[in-house]
Formats: sequence, C-alpha cells, structure tokens
Amino acid sequence: MNQTKPWQTPCAVVLSRMLTALFALVLVMPLFAPQARADGGVTAGKVANPGAELWREVRQREAPLAGATQVTGMDSGVLINTLGEQWRRFRMEQLVPVAGALIGGVLGLIILFHLFKRGVRLEHGRSGNYIERFKEIDRILHWYVATVFIFLALTGLILLTGRVVLIPVFGHEVFSAIASASKEGHNLFGPLFLLGVVGLFIRFVSKNFPGKGDLGWLLKAGGFLGGKHPSAGFFNAGEKIWFWLVIVVGLTISVTGLILEFPFFGQDRPLMALSLVLHGVGAVLLVAGLFGHIYVGSAGMEASLESMTTGYVDVNWARQHHDQWAEVCEAEGAVIAGEDLKKKQQLRGTKNRVPNRPATEEGQ
Amino acid sequence: MITEFIDGPLWYFALLVFVIGVAWRLLAIFRTRSKPDFSVPRGSAAASAVMTGLRRFVPRPEMSPRIRLHVVAGYMFHLGLFALLLFAAPHVLFLKENLLGFGWTPMPYWAFIVSSQIAFAGLLLLWLHRILNPVTRLISDADDHVAAVLTFVVMLTGCLALMETFSGLRVLHRFSVELLMIYFPFSRLMHAFTFIPSRAYTGAWFGRRGVDA
Repeated sequence: MNQTKPWQTPCAVVLSRMLTALFALVLVMPLFAPQARADGGVTAGKVANPGAELWREVRQREAPLAGATQVTGMDSGVLINTLGEQWRRFRMEQLVPVAGALIGGVLGLIILFHLFKRGVRLEHGRSGNYIERFKEIDRILHWYVATVFIFLALTGLILLTGRVVLIPVFGHEVFSAIASASKEGHNLFGPLFLLGVVGLFIRFVSKNFPGKGDLGWLLKAGGFLGGKHPSAGFFNAGEKIWFWLVIVVGLTISVTGLILEFPFFGQDRPLMALSLVLHGVGAVLLVAGLFGHIYVGSAGMEASLESMTTGYVDVNWARQHHDQWAEVCEAEGAVIAGEDLKKKQQLRGTKNRVPNRPATEEGQ
Repeated sequence: MITEFIDGPLWYFALLVFVIGVAWRLLAIFRTRSKPDFSVPRGSAAASAVMTGLRRFVPRPEMSPRIRLHVVAGYMFHLGLFALLLFAAPHVLFLKENLLGFGWTPMPYWAFIVSSQIAFAGLLLLWLHRILNPVTRLISDADDHVAAVLTFVVMLTGCLALMETFSGLRVLHRFSVELLMIYFPFSRLMHAFTFIPSRAYTGAWFGRRGVDA
C-alpha cells in the first residue's frame, strides 16, 4: 500500500512541500499586513513601486527642498515645483469661473439697468453753450490708454479663458495660433499700457484727491439714492474711485506683467506665481470696471462722451453732474456760446464751413 | 490653396503694382516742368535745397510748442517702423532670399520688441492726434485713415507672427503687406518717396529768391 508513484521522487516531494508552504504563507500574509506596511511599505498582494520614494523626493511634495547642482540660476536645484500645479488649479477652478461670473454679471447688470432706466438724461435739455472740460493732450492720453487696454484685455481674456471658451468652438489647432498671436501681442503692448497709466497719473492726479461733496456723493450712490443729483466738483467720487483703481490696479498689473515678461532678473517661482495671481485678478477687476466706465461715459449718461471727443461739455450737463465745477467756470466766464465754439472747433462743421479768420491768422 | 496664392501670384502682383506705381508717380512729378526763371538769382538754389531738406527735420521754434506731440510721435513711429522694416531678422532673411541676394546683420530680439513698441505708440498717438485735433481732423480724409489702419494692421500682424511657429499668422502678415503695397502708390503713403524732392524743390525755389524756406 505504501507504494510510491514513479513521479514521487525525493526531489519532487521536497519541491511539492515547499510550494505548499509558500501557498500557506501567501494565505497567512494578510494577517501581518498592517505591521508590514508600517515597517516597510509592502502592501498585501501588491508590491510598492520601488521608484515611489524617489519620485516623491523629486516632486518634493512635502517641502520645496532644493537639491545640490553645479548649474547656477534661480531654482536650478528644484526638479519639480509643485507651486505650478497649485497655480494651475487656482486658475482653472477659481480664477476662470469667477472672472467669467464677474464680467458677465457686470455686463448683465448694465443691460438690465439700461433696459429699465434708459440711462441718465439731461434734466433741462441742452443749453447750446459749452465749457471746455478736457484739453487735447488729455483726450489723446485717455484714448491711447483705452485703445491699448482694450487690446490687452482682449488678448488677456483669450489667454485666460480661451482653453474653456475658444477650444470647443475653434478646436485645438486654431486656438494654438490664436493663443500664440495673443501672447505676442499682449507682451508687446503691455509696456505701452504702463507708460499710459503713468501719463494718466501725472495729468489727472491733482483733480482726484478726496474733496468736498465726495462723501455725500457716495452716500447717495451718485444720485441713485435720494432722488436729487449730489453735488460734485470737476470729478465726482465715482470718477475718483475709478481713477485710483486704474492707477493702483493698472500699476500692479503692469509691474507683475513685467515680472512675468522678463523672467531673468532673479525672480523666483513663488514670486512668479504670485505675480500671475495678482496680474489675473487685477486685470479681471479692471475689465469689469471698464464696462461700467464705458457705459457711464457713453449710452449711460447723455452728452458725456463729448467731453472726451470734442473736449467740451454742454453747460447744462456740467451743472447737472459737476455743479461745483460748473459754478466756478461760469463765474470765471469760461462759457463759450455754441456758435463761437463751432467756429473755433468745427464741432459739426464740414470743409465748406471753415470760419472766416483775420488776415493775420491766414498767413500763419 | 490660399497660402500658395498669397505667397505666389498675389505677392508678384503686389510687387509689380508697387514698383510700377511708385515709378509712374515719381516720373510724373519729375516730368512736371515749371516756367523758366530768368530773374537774377539772389541766393544759391542748390544750397537752399539741401539746407531745407535738412532743416525740415526740426520744427520751426515758433511752431514747436504747439506741435511737440506731433513731432515726437512722428519720429517715434517713423524711426521704429524703418528699424522694423530694414533690420528685423525675418525681413532681412526675406529680402536676402527673395529680392536682393544678400543680407546684413539684423537687430537682436530685444531691439525688435523695443522698436515695435516705439512704432506702435507713435502711430497710435499720431492717429489719435489726427482725429482729436480739430485742424488735422478737418484736413484728413479717408485716404489718411485707410493708410493709418493698413499700416497698423501690417505692424500688428507682423508682431503677432513673431514666434514664426504658425504658418497662418505669417500668411496673414504677408497678405496685409501685399494689400499695403497695392494701396501705396495711390495714396499719401507716397510721401515716403516724395518728401525729399518736395523739400528740395521748395528750398531751391525760395533759395533762388533769397528767401529763407
């Protein structure tokens, strides 16, 4: 009975017993798994990636440690900086949706306001007499900044939201060309905006300090509360707030833009990431404010746009919106009759209506 | 298909219109003969022609405060534009490979950026001055505005194609250049060729009469 089979050689028996023991060991292993993980990172049924430790170190998730290298330069010892991932997530999950909501919300409010209120009309109509409000250099400066900023806003919004808004419409290939062009244009026009903001500051700062009537203007929300239009000087409180917003935020996005555009002056990645955040947030704020500014300066307020096109405003407009300034101008005799202004400025004239000039001026 | 057309037939057509148109207009100007002047010269016409040509680069002192912005913006635009036109690396390469057969040292990338920024700022200020100043607005017509817009578009498309990565952007720039070349001889852009003879003629005419031009 104790007859051995032909294949039951001593060697085979030993081998089969070893396999049985190994099988038993595998079955028993899960019992010891927690201790094993705590000891060495070996998980049940799954061997840990031997490179995990290495890549954890490379990514430096726990702390931004820099390694040693002979390469000189900012962050040259850092292989992967996780700040980039944080910025990407902030940009895609917070900045883009909030920017869209803010800009869209402001636009929606303006449209609603215009539909219900139809803007602010001249209470007493036009007087036909004018006061000079902005000199030619001021108007040129204003439109220069406006043109450059609108270009920057368009290209910047393409770069910020194009991935979400334009790729679904145009596809990746077309968007990559649009994005490349936008980046070049944005970088090129950025410094021009800085020059414009500095120019605005120099030309207008003296008229934009807080003054008499500003608090009242703010408390009445520029006339929306309380019915009667609040008193104001050359600039009202709303215009002053817009001015300082343009200066402070404009300088911020200009400086952060320069930090990003010329990354070879020793700026490190945390500074670059912070610059990106400030640049994006500031730009979105200014774009949202710009819509309000454009509306108030055009369709939202009758006869406002003339101040920045011809440089002159109707006296009734000045009395209604800037009564303190109008009072001073009228006291100084700075009011010009409409006919005289037409002759002087050719406001609505054609080439056939060149005013007669004294002979001495003809020769000049 | 469009790319081949813009790079091929349209380019040669634009070049032909530009060269023949400019030559035609210059010939027409030079063939215009004034009446012979038999009066005794009171000054050197030639010297005055040269002096006027140079002196007109600087505004007269009595005019300078009123046209300061115009002069500064004018120099910004023209110097920036000519730096871009003649010394931008892609232009030097294009001229060498397609027209001249030889090239010269182009300006570095940073100089390209600075030149284009100066040119853009100058052009924008000049155009704003044109439409916001009552006098320049009155004497401007559609030609002035079309020329300004075309020039702006050419510069803009050129700068947008700066990375030279996307063929579409390069073609867009080339197309706008070709439109400008076709428009050039029929517009006031001709002043690029006529301003020197014009100054010289005026200077000579007045100089012969002993008048400071």
